[in-house]
Amino acid sequence: MGHLTHDEFFTRLADLFSTRKNKAHGAVYLTQKRLTFNQEETYASKSDSFEDLYVPRPLPILIRATNGKSKEHRAAKVKLSTVVQPQDLDMFYARYAEVCKAGMAALKPRDRTKRKAKAKKRKIGAAGTPAS
Amino acid sequence: MPYYGKSEDWLHQSALLLQARPATTRITTRYHIKPARRMPKSAKAEEAGAAANPPQPEETAQQQQQEEEKPPRGHLVLKTYDPASGVTLKYKTSKAAEVTRLVQMLGTLGRRMAGVAVETTPAATSGGGAGGDEVVMGEAPPVGGGESEAAAAGGGGSGAQTPTPAAGAGSGAGAGGGGGKGKKKKGKR
Repeated sequence: MGHLTHDEFFTRLADLFSTRKNKAHGAVYLTQKRLTFNQEETYASKSDSFEDLYVPRPLPILIRATNGKSKEHRAAKVKLSTVVQPQDLDMFYARYAEVCKAGMAALKPRDRTKRKAKAKKRKIGAAGTPAS
Repeated sequence: MPYYGKSEDWLHQSALLLQARPATTRITTRYHIKPARRMPKSAKAEEAGAAANPPQPEETAQQQQQEEEKPPRGHLVLKTYDPASGVTLKYKTSKAAEVTRLVQMLGTLGRRMAGVAVETTPAATSGGGAGGDEVVMGEAPPVGGGESEAAAAGGGGSGAQTPTPAAGAGSGAGAGGGGGKGKKKKGKR
């Protein structure tokens, strides 16, 4: 499967997250790595083991998303991938954060009730100590 | 395969790993949902009471309902892995409030991956503040009066580890120590 455009990738990633929403278990895997395959320029010398430390120009990044289905569940596997050019990184990650935030709904929300209860307790304690 | 207690530590170590092996290192974010297993405290107490007395069918049904009502909990695991050297760095959380910040971190690391020059923000360099050790499994046990010592140790460790200029590392470590102090105080009350 070829790489998707960013728009398509985000809509399908949102779909992937939303299919997880109604189920009690399951996972979404997101991976990012440098795209070195099939790039025009090759490294100057392969003999130098540190050749990847010095790149003549910024390289694109490969982003993958999958639901982790394999083996016997292969048929249900969803695989998405997209390539982010270095100049698009900021824009991409801003949208990526939005989609992830919206999709990861089962995480623990910020809980303010506990803090409130604590504050109340403290208030009572403070009121009680001067009296005694 | 260490789990870091703080996302900043994970970011810092991952950045170092990426610096060393930018071509092979990959970052995997795993978001998984598990049914909530742990019972709330009140339910546990109820169960203890039920165990003492002969269990009534009505009560157990109510408990079951409670368990069903509890929504499944999501977890987020960030993993930096370099297949060439076998280094794995992990960070685990279940807080929704952290997601945006973590994706921002992914962005910073992504910029590093791409080979784009990364501006060194104080947030990115303060990673070594809390733990100078290679493997930080959790927070150090809070010892009375040892806070300043811990901060000093952290500063020394980060100074030795960070490739950034000494001035930046020093200020970052100081900020990290301060944050840790505040957190501890909060926990004590």
